[in-house]
Amino acid sequence: MNLPNYFLADLPAEAALGPTLIREACLSLKRNRELYLARRSTGDLVNSLCAVAKEWLHPDYPLRRMALDDGSRMTGFSRATIAAGLDSFFRVFTPDDFEALLEQDLGHTRRLDAVTSHSAERQTGRAAIAVSPALLVHITAGNLPNPAWMSIVLGVLVRSAQFVKCASGMSLFTRLFAHSLHEADPKLGACLEVAEWPGGTTTLEEELFDEADCVTATGSDETLENIRQRLPSRVRFVSHGHRLSFGYVSGEFLAGSNKRIVIARVAADVAAWDQLGCLSPHVIYVQQDGGCSAEAFAELLANELEVIEAVQPRGGLPISEAAAIASRRSVYEIRAANSTETRLWCSQNSSAWTVVYESDPRFQVSCLNRFVYVKPVPDVAAMLAAADSIRDRVSTIGLAVAESRFQELAGILGRWGATRICPMGRMQQPPLTWRHDGRGPLAELVTWTDCELP
Amino acid sequence: MALELFQLQFDSNPVLQMLAKSRNVRPETLERWTEIPPVPIGIFKECVVSAIEAEARSAVFYSSGTSSEFRSRHFHCEDSLRIYETSAIAWYRVHFPGSWQRMVFLTPPPAVAPNSSLIHMFEAISREAGSINSYMGNLDRSGGWSLDYEGTTEVLLQAQAEGGAVLVLGTAFLFVQLLDYLRSRATRLALPPGSAIFETGGYKGVTRELPKALLHDLISRQLAVSGAAIISEYGMCELSSQAYDGVAGHPSSERRFAFPPWARFRLVSPENGLEVGEGQPGLIQVFDLANVYSSMAIQTEDVGIRRGDRLELVGRARAAIPRGCSLMTIATD
Repeated sequence: MNLPNYFLADLPAEAALGPTLIREACLSLKRNRELYLARRSTGDLVNSLCAVAKEWLHPDYPLRRMALDDGSRMTGFSRATIAAGLDSFFRVFTPDDFEALLEQDLGHTRRLDAVTSHSAERQTGRAAIAVSPALLVHITAGNLPNPAWMSIVLGVLVRSAQFVKCASGMSLFTRLFAHSLHEADPKLGACLEVAEWPGGTTTLEEELFDEADCVTATGSDETLENIRQRLPSRVRFVSHGHRLSFGYVSGEFLAGSNKRIVIARVAADVAAWDQLGCLSPHVIYVQQDGGCSAEAFAELLANELEVIEAVQPRGGLPISEAAAIASRRSVYEIRAANSTETRLWCSQNSSAWTVVYESDPRFQVSCLNRFVYVKPVPDVAAMLAAADSIRDRVSTIGLAVAESRFQELAGILGRWGATRICPMGRMQQPPLTWRHDGRGPLAELVTWTDCELP
Repeated sequence: MALELFQLQFDSNPVLQMLAKSRNVRPETLERWTEIPPVPIGIFKECVVSAIEAEARSAVFYSSGTSSEFRSRHFHCEDSLRIYETSAIAWYRVHFPGSWQRMVFLTPPPAVAPNSSLIHMFEAISREAGSINSYMGNLDRSGGWSLDYEGTTEVLLQAQAEGGAVLVLGTAFLFVQLLDYLRSRATRLALPPGSAIFETGGYKGVTRELPKALLHDLISRQLAVSGAAIISEYGMCELSSQAYDGVAGHPSSERRFAFPPWARFRLVSPENGLEVGEGQPGLIQVFDLANVYSSMAIQTEDVGIRRGDRLELVGRARAAIPRGCSLMTIATD
């Protein structure tokens, strides 16, 4: 892989990062922001982001090809999985989508450009402008690119200088996206830094946190708490802990020709990013009154995962993760041979995919990497009772239900605690306007200057 | 012998019959010990893997963990405990050939933690050794083990003053606690010449994790024992034999675990279940002839690499514990 040394993460592995270097990088980011970014218009920035996205969707775009070639070698995702993930991420980058996001979170598309009013404000003689953090720091975890990319996009929209700190050995996708921004818009690229080091390297992180105005982080509760404790009190902290997702398939929806479509959508959700995101389903609940039993559904899902494996194979696994799959399978295999309460389908001679049917409806945390549970429930209420143990940690519930029932059900699930409801098949494809963990993504980053008009 | 034992266990243990059924295995058709299907330790969490009648069970060992989790249960009777102790003591002696004026256990005493196979082993060892024994651990409110810091320091200082060799035994987690405490007090101990350390087990995320080499280095510096006197043990409540990664006081360039002659291990690929070659990582299966009354063959959730006839431990499978109890109705007491 041959990339110019624009970012710290481009330097050879042996190049040592020191506290002084980090502080200087932060200071020059802030200077560049003042020079090149702080006064650019939202429309201009949206155009840049959309242009970059268009490049990424092009099969011959060199950085996309690097993401596929080097990504499949370095991150454990297959080319096809990365390609599918890139397409669904960048497809939603349109001016209309960005406008919808700005209006949703800030009430007006030009809220970051000037003091403006929306209609209710006008009627009451008020106006406001959203103010951005000068330096936004992102602490990212894991190999899944979407969360870090989305953080960068939001940071560009609010015109912050940004420092992205990746976990050790996990900076590839973030680097490639940063290079694409730099290539399309070098001044924008000059307001962005990407580096990697082992989390908790306090000498480097102290400098970074001292210079930051806002820090975003994803990771385990423990990691997030550790960061929170080390932040100066003036720094805003936007954190996203691990979340769990699952799906619900209604009996009536499974009748007739829908069945094939539903199965294909569920399988696509399990296969997307090898099930490693917070938005991937651990369990599929199947309502037991339709034309297809949960057990039959599980078998069809297994067949579909086998089909997907041929065209979009799961990536190779570290031995510990393959061992986790093997350990679980070995237990379910014995249960399945001796009881009708459990059944197991899995790929032969590989850990590529696993479907476990269990009549016990209690939510089961999967070991992921395309390992999914299918469980029968009589209705939505029973599903929610079965998932009560994870109620405060739920992100997305994917639904395969009749359109006429969708909103009513979404209301019930929202009141229960889910922060996102979407049709099955789109669990890993949230729109730009998605309120991550139920919070407005732009709203969390800005502060406000309110004006009462004379 | 392994095949005979498996036949015996198969005949007297419904769980092994269930396992054999799931693998389409019949004991009478097996030709080699490597064909015996090992019981995944996950099954010990939900089934009674035991040939001992309910009324004859005099002890049960649990895997570590909090009481709210499903834990493995390994039942024993008088006879199986005798075998357990004989096996444990014999292989311990080979790896700790010295004699000790004192044995200091960082764990709670057996009376407080009767369901720990490790502490049962400690008690058996110390009965044999005839040294002055102190248990320095307590149970905390959640059932976890904690250390009486002041008491431990006092005992170790006393041992230091007496000058006779001392053996300190405990889990890696308890050693981390001790070292943290000593460092916070700026206390450095110098255990008498010939002293040794028996260290075992993981940390279970209870305190800051330390790589093993770093832990040994810290023990070595803060207690003034040589690296060659620090021995790691690999054992689990589902087994009756243990492995050690060296002989106390005998420096060796490579730390690899050795099982006793009555136990063997195999490493299998988690992808296809086939045995992996020398130098390749695989899931560890242990075939322990001392596990007479439960299952001689065990499939662990640990990953290792074969180095000759020894084992290099690599780590533990991530989150390998499926909750659920759909078999409990079939195979419990």
